[in-house]
Amino acid sequence: MKIRNTILTLVSIALLAAFIWYADSNFDSYKIRILNLCAIYTILALSMNLINGFTGLLSLGHAGFMAVGAYTTALLTMSETAKQQNFFLKPIVAPLATITLPFLPALLIGGVLSAFVAFLIGAPTLRLRGDYLAIATLGFSEIIRIVFTNTQNITNGPLGLKSIPNNTNLWWTFGLALVTLILIKSLIDSSYGKALKAIREDEVAAESMGINLFQHKLIAFIIGAFFAAIGGGLLGSLIGAINPIMFRFILTFNVLLIVVMGGMGSITGSVISAFAVTAGLEYLRVLDESINLGFVTIKGIPGLRMVVFAGLLMVVVIFFKNGLMGTKEFSWDKLINFFTSKKRFKKKEVGQ
Amino acid sequence: MAILKTDAITMKFGGLTAVNEFNLNVEQGEIVAVIGPNGAGKTTAFNMITGVYRPTEGHIYFDDKKITGLKPHTITKYGMARTFQNIRLFKELSVLENVVIANHLHLKTNLIQAILGNTYPDILDVLWMPKYKREEKKILEKSHMLLEKVGLIDLKDEKANSLPYGLQRKLEIARALATNPRLLLLDEPAAGMNPKETNDLTNFIRQIRDDFNLTILLIEHHMQVVMDISDRIYVLDYGINIAEGNPYEIQNNDRVIQAYLGVAEDA
Ligand SMILES: Nc1ncnc2c1ncn2[C@@H]1O[C@H](COP(=O)(O)OP(=O)(O)O)[C@@H](O)[C@H]1O
Ligand SMILES: [Mg+2]
Repeated sequence: MKIRNTILTLVSIALLAAFIWYADSNFDSYKIRILNLCAIYTILALSMNLINGFTGLLSLGHAGFMAVGAYTTALLTMSETAKQQNFFLKPIVAPLATITLPFLPALLIGGVLSAFVAFLIGAPTLRLRGDYLAIATLGFSEIIRIVFTNTQNITNGPLGLKSIPNNTNLWWTFGLALVTLILIKSLIDSSYGKALKAIREDEVAAESMGINLFQHKLIAFIIGAFFAAIGGGLLGSLIGAINPIMFRFILTFNVLLIVVMGGMGSITGSVISAFAVTAGLEYLRVLDESINLGFVTIKGIPGLRMVVFAGLLMVVVIFFKNGLMGTKEFSWDKLINFFTSKKRFKKKEVGQ
Repeated sequence: MAILKTDAITMKFGGLTAVNEFNLNVEQGEIVAVIGPNGAGKTTAFNMITGVYRPTEGHIYFDDKKITGLKPHTITKYGMARTFQNIRLFKELSVLENVVIANHLHLKTNLIQAILGNTYPDILDVLWMPKYKREEKKILEKSHMLLEKVGLIDLKDEKANSLPYGLQRKLEIARALATNPRLLLLDEPAAGMNPKETNDLTNFIRQIRDDFNLTILLIEHHMQVVMDISDRIYVLDYGINIAEGNPYEIQNNDRVIQAYLGVAEDA
């Protein structure tokens, strides 16, 4: 059984690699962009699910952590000349002007910085009742935008950063999404992950079973913030330009939607939902544009796709109260059971 | 030596004094009961002892160590575990997971070791097993043993809240035992049990006391259980400790009889 499952997992990863290899050289840039976005949103959804779904906290600061990651990654990977061109109002501060790092270290530094910020927010608020974290994180993600708008010589203020090196490709996004998936899954399955779920289920009982609430909430919050920043860094590098306005609350809200639709507390749900929502929103873009039916052209209504999307979301929430997956997870055993038990059932029917 | 001692603990909620200068003394290996009418302050006393509430006044000593005001998780780590009057299981998790979680406080591997240990493929376990996995295996074995002990092993994969109340109480006990306690506090263990389960409860509690070398402090309304099992009994009424003694003394204590006749018996 164990051997079979490991082999199935390895085969799937190999198939994914083959798919990326094929897509990388055969898909048009539009499709590749959508796939990149899907993988990035997978990272964002998984990181938020760890905090909000598995631990049961209410953090609304994802956009802020993404901003930290995106700006750090951008500033550390841009070349000296690119920075000079960007910062024409006020020159960039000395050490940042000359530093240029490879992509991965830049992403990781962004993640660590974001984790540190999460520590600063979490240390005072996670000792208190749940609502304080929501307020503090919401405040943080707005304040960080204002800070970034005003630190002209570090972030280039409202102008933002342009011509960020386009390091992101399918290998990076899918590779890092896979690493995030594996690490968060093994955290969730570990004793620490079970402690997080216990906190979600009943804080008083969890504490009485010896679980240090503050310490474990802080762990979940910091790890979530780390991966949110990785997602932010990838996104900035994919788009090539960032500014403070990009990281408004709506960004957090979108990730939250993905997590809720997939199921709070389901890794599988977050992955499926990240792909479905991201790709779906792109394909629904048709609705915003005018449609030429040959004899008549229907004018597009900007924003219509969001209306349709909201409608779909409502359907999901009404018919699947706990999202698509609830807290259920995919496993090879379940998949194989599903097929084999169905067959058995049919055989019985024939016999009767 | 007293394993647990409270020194005039008092708990006030606004104008209400739920527990008033309660002195409790529990010796190693004893089974001690706290009884009293509903609202007498028994659960509040438990909540102070286990750190859920900080006493308004007074002090609590566990093994002669002052634990007043410490967090529940710290007190649990010292060797005190409890169950809850209104069952507080991790409802959506499985029976087995409920017990496994209660081993977490003694985990020796750190977070990084746990994450990396869990990524290590199972099929290579025969060659070498990461420290975390070895520890997890031990925890699983211990959890299975505990579930076997309370008779829930066949239901280990069921969701905790799908069990009937009587079994949920047993699961709470198994979960509490998983923290390796020396002192176990049971808050109305017979509530929700059927007559047969209630009858078995006395033996069950003695059994776990002997098997795990426990001292037991319990709150119970079921008088037969209390009188059968207790070495000593404390009686609370409106937060005041009106009597203390062995079952015979308590049964013949005038103040106790009055307290119980004064209010409707709810056992
Ligand atoms: N958290 C609380 N806030 C306010 N009053 C409380 C609280 N907990 C208990 N009480 C009150 O304290 C008294 C004792 O309650 P409790 O300890 O639960 O009684 P018992 O367990 O003996 O039935 C009751 O009057 C109850 O309403
Ligand atoms: Mg009570």
